[in-house]
Amino acid sequence: MTSRQEIVEHVREIAAEETGLPVEELTPDLDLRNVESVDSVKVLRVVARIERDYDIEVSDEQVFAFTTVSDVADAVLAALRTADPAP
Amino acid sequence: MIPNEPAQPGPISLPWHVLPDYQCFGCSPHNAAGLRLRFWESTDGDGLEAPLTFGRQHESYPGVVHGGIVATVCDEIMGNLLVLRTGVTHFTVTLRTRFLTPLAVGTAYRCVATVRPEPGAAGQRQATADVLDAAGDTVASASGTYQPASADSSRQHLALSEADRQLLDDAMSTADQVSGRERG
Repeated sequence: MTSRQEIVEHVREIAAEETGLPVEELTPDLDLRNVESVDSVKVLRVVARIERDYDIEVSDEQVFAFTTVSDVADAVLAALRTADPAP
Repeated sequence: MIPNEPAQPGPISLPWHVLPDYQCFGCSPHNAAGLRLRFWESTDGDGLEAPLTFGRQHESYPGVVHGGIVATVCDEIMGNLLVLRTGVTHFTVTLRTRFLTPLAVGTAYRCVATVRPEPGAAGQRQATADVLDAAGDTVASASGTYQPASADSSRQHLALSEADRQLLDDAMSTADQVSGRERG
């Protein structure tokens, strides 16, 4: 199972690529709604790439509730646990 | 469709092209109401891509391409990629599309599809397709699950004469000469 920290780092990398922000600025708890260069389309692009990378589906309710990198990482972790529950 | 063709050689000849009057809404050159999609090997050589420019006949809101058409393009390219890679007809089981931004009528896009190399336990295949704008940004993203059609299933569902069936079987068996990578 991928660790939460690994997921957070991967989401930060993807978010940096999609938003053009330096990865250092994309701290896990940064409220993306307050970042001028981030809009809902960019968040959707991040989610679409993350879904593909982890082979998961994130619900639309979750997608439109995301405000931070941590939120995305938690959704990924929950989806991975559902797909591959611990013994 | 107005072609904005890729630089790489093509387009690829699909197995269906041997049928003199096939009417696929997505890829037949004979269907005047269809999309008449044409396909090229993707630039990385691993998938398939199609240049896209939609006209007003594909419109939803004024100036906006209908989302169902975009989903159809994604399904079409994934399905044809599977046929070319495996030489077997596949039926769509699930199609999931994320629309990231509206697509504009009259604007050039391209759709790029890839397929996961290994089939699932039941033989099903997973494929993905992205529609990209001229800047390379994703505007729509789709994933699909496809079930290979057995010979019986194909015979049951495809309305073909025996002569056309033989033509298609021959074309499918040589699909690897065009672009397939899994055929022995």
